[in-house]
Amino acid sequence: MTDATIEHAEDMHDDHGHNDHAHDDHGAHPTEKQYWVVFVILAILTAVEVAWSYLGLHGAALVVPLIVMMVVKFFLVAGVFMHLYFDTKILHGRVFWWTFAAATTLALLVYFIVFASFDQVF
Amino acid sequence: MTDLAEHVSEEAHGDHHDDDHGHHSSLGLSNMKLAMWLFLGSECLLFGALISSYLILKTRFLTELLAGNPDVIAGIDNPELVQEFIAEGSVEPLWDIPFTSLSSFILLMSSLCMVLAHKATEEGDYKNQRIWLATTAILGSTFIGGQIYEFTTFFAEGLTFDGSIFGSAFYTLTGFHGVHVTGGIIMLVSLLFLSLRGKLQADRSETVELVGLYWHFVDVVWVLIFTIVYLIP
Repeated sequence: MTDATIEHAEDMHDDHGHNDHAHDDHGAHPTEKQYWVVFVILAILTAVEVAWSYLGLHGAALVVPLIVMMVVKFFLVAGVFMHLYFDTKILHGRVFWWTFAAATTLALLVYFIVFASFDQVF
Repeated sequence: MTDLAEHVSEEAHGDHHDDDHGHHSSLGLSNMKLAMWLFLGSECLLFGALISSYLILKTRFLTELLAGNPDVIAGIDNPELVQEFIAEGSVEPLWDIPFTSLSSFILLMSSLCMVLAHKATEEGDYKNQRIWLATTAILGSTFIGGQIYEFTTFFAEGLTFDGSIFGSAFYTLTGFHGVHVTGGIIMLVSLLFLSLRGKLQADRSETVELVGLYWHFVDVVWVLIFTIVYLIP
């Protein structure tokens, strides 16, 4: 095999290098320590949620903080444990997020329409 | 021909087998991973519908109960519990929050074990891979055991599946979640067997990641159910 052929072969190998490792379709994943930190935050949030529900609060003072903590927990699990935050760095971000936003908007619209159809609720 | 040249030849003829990672989609994800995300998207709609139905039916149940509808009152096979519901104006008296909080904590812990199993697979640390996979499955089973205990207790207290719309909505929502956790446990045990047979090496870490995505999704759904069903009156 000539030097030129070997060089060409190495170039091709580099081009296809992204298939050689499972991680190359996403950014660097968190370290083990970061996973533990996220878990501790999740555990603390859960404890605060439960404690909050025992404070005897009513209405928005009870519900809004619970919803906020729930959303934070949701994004921590989806973003870090499910690698969504890290994967999207090379996911042609704009396309992915527009698709995500469009699907979420559609789902919310469907639910609002369903809710609105229940006279007993609204 | 050198190994490199053979590899290039395979690539050129499309013979390169990358069964685990699959081909990459235009989004930069492997097809397998994209398929899992699409599946999880459809699951979002399923659980969205179940949670919405629960909220609507619970509201209707409480409205009818507080209005003194005899059919709704008769649907709960426990007059004391009915009185507690009416006195509180909510279904809170039924819940055992400390117990459910412990279940939630166990499921969160299982999610941590799942990511550690994935990390161990990526690093080729197969001993820890098996330990974390087994721990995740055990924690998931503990959660299911807790749910069975909870269902048994609620049933004994008079909340049946077909007695009231609240009971139907509650058991359907949490039951569907329990079925999903059980499915995840089966996947985890399968991974453990694959690992013991030496068929879950670092080059197949995406398989563990895909099961992990499903497992974390189940955890995320419980994060929503725990707050919406149990903590918000």
